Amino acid sequence: MKGRMKQWKWTLVALIPTVIIVFPLYFIAIGGFQTVAEIFHRPPYWFPPRPSWQFYGDALVTLLPYLKNSLIMALGNLALTLLVALPSAFALAKFRLKIGKSTFFLLAFTQMLPATAVIIPLFLIFNRFRLINNYLSAILGIAVFTIPFATIILRAYMQAIPTGLLEAAFIDGASLFRVFRSIVIPLASPAIATAGILTLIMAWGDFIVSLSFLKDRTLQPMSIGLYNFIGQYGVQWNKLMAGSMIFAVPPLIVALLAGKSIVAGLTAGAFKE
Amino acid sequence: MFFPLGITSPGGRERSSSFSMKTTSHVGYFFIVPALVYVLFFGVYPLIYNFILSLKEVTLITYMSGTSPWVGLANYWQTIKDVVFQRTFTNTLLFTSLSLAFQFLIGFFLAILFNRSFPLKGLLQSLIMIPWVLPIIVSGSFFRWFFSDRGMVNGFLLAWDFIDKPIPWITSQKLPIFAVTLANIWLGIPFNFVLLYTGLRAIPIELFESADIDGANWWQRIAFITFPVLRPVIITTLTLGCIFTVKVFDLVWIITQGGPGDVSHLLSTLSYSWAFNKFHFGRASSVLVIMLSLVVSLTVLLNSIRSEGE
Repeated sequence: MKGRMKQWKWTLVALIPTVIIVFPLYFIAIGGFQTVAEIFHRPPYWFPPRPSWQFYGDALVTLLPYLKNSLIMALGNLALTLLVALPSAFALAKFRLKIGKSTFFLLAFTQMLPATAVIIPLFLIFNRFRLINNYLSAILGIAVFTIPFATIILRAYMQAIPTGLLEAAFIDGASLFRVFRSIVIPLASPAIATAGILTLIMAWGDFIVSLSFLKDRTLQPMSIGLYNFIGQYGVQWNKLMAGSMIFAVPPLIVALLAGKSIVAGLTAGAFKE
Repeated sequence: MFFPLGITSPGGRERSSSFSMKTTSHVGYFFIVPALVYVLFFGVYPLIYNFILSLKEVTLITYMSGTSPWVGLANYWQTIKDVVFQRTFTNTLLFTSLSLAFQFLIGFFLAILFNRSFPLKGLLQSLIMIPWVLPIIVSGSFFRWFFSDRGMVNGFLLAWDFIDKPIPWITSQKLPIFAVTLANIWLGIPFNFVLLYTGLRAIPIELFESADIDGANWWQRIAFITFPVLRPVIITTLTLGCIFTVKVFDLVWIITQGGPGDVSHLLSTLSYSWAFNKFHFGRASSVLVIMLSLVVSLTVLLNSIRSEGE
């Protein structure tokens, strides 16, 4: 009993920094329930004095046209990323290839590149091919960062698949592609889920790529839709906060449900050479 | 652990066996080619193109007509002489070092705090990940409001009579870079926490127990066990953190756009603003090359320090 009490003490201690870290999210959430005057009340309200769902409704109506674009981009990016990352992760994990090391280095290097350093030249290149204001440009641009990220996570996991298992199947006459599809992919499914989740979060939250490549409002994702709220003269803060909250819900749910996989994915990327 | 196979102990290496058959290796290229082509085409080629741009006079007009003339190092020369660039360079150093120091300290403190079992630990851990998961437009616009003249910080300070008139956090000359740094510290906590926490978990508990028997206090345990054992993880965390911080763009772009009057630019936002607001693609590229050399030297440093320990 005493030991249990002592453990709860640590929960309380850990609660303090956690609350401080979470507090911006809380104020965004309650901001969406307040009028602009209430948001700027002095001192700021800890609870909305007269909560109203109206601004959440308004924000949803304004953002709904952007939702389709966000979904197309996030799912398109996920498909492209897995299509490229899965086979290469397998090859990097299980083959001794002459170009293996340099490919891995290039992937790790690309992942570290500043987004601006890729986007400014890509903008000029895509412009020549008339790809600006086309979903494809944004999907290709985001994948510059998600493909290396996913490959590194998947490779780390696939390395642990026993090679003997694959070789046995291979000797039994299965083609390499068959081994890949029927053994490697099913065995790697937890890692595929992790990589997929992280890829989705990255693409959903993308800002700079969409901002640079999609100038046409009918093509922009929700992140840029929200940014347009700021751009307008006189920000409607309550609508912006309500919209932010709506936009943040999917990744937040994922984070709460799959927090551990996210942690695993982040560290797998960091500690692997 | 969700990831029983994928994670090896930080810094540790596992020998992975590979296919032994000769025939497989040829087919292996088929698997690797998509990623290689992608990275070469969309990662490496833009970089080279970027470098070429930095040696040319590329404005909207010359780009459209396809006649951008070579100007040698003129872009670099003009950039380095530019007061705005000099200020931006200082800003980037300030932003990076302050962010890194505080993110690391907070992350380290949290990692130690969470390196024991207590009720609701999993939930609190997931909550700490929120800054990383939250889309940048969401956290960015929050901080824009938080630091605005009528925003939350001033709201509390004024109401509690600490100040008479609002502090211009993001509307003055000197303060904006500190405001965005503060926001970025918050943003970087999960990353530092996760890496250091994972590292701590790998330290065998017996190590601490034997220190307890020897009568070591908390500080001694941190200084003589945690730090030395964690050294490779700490180096990795700091170097990766450094690389990620040097290239921050979105946060600053959303909060201040580098303003007011170019006082809060980082190298990333300055290059973006020169490219897309002023259409000076050549000069923007010269800033990018300077920033890239910073990132590349950091990456090389990371690799050399890491391999040193092996």
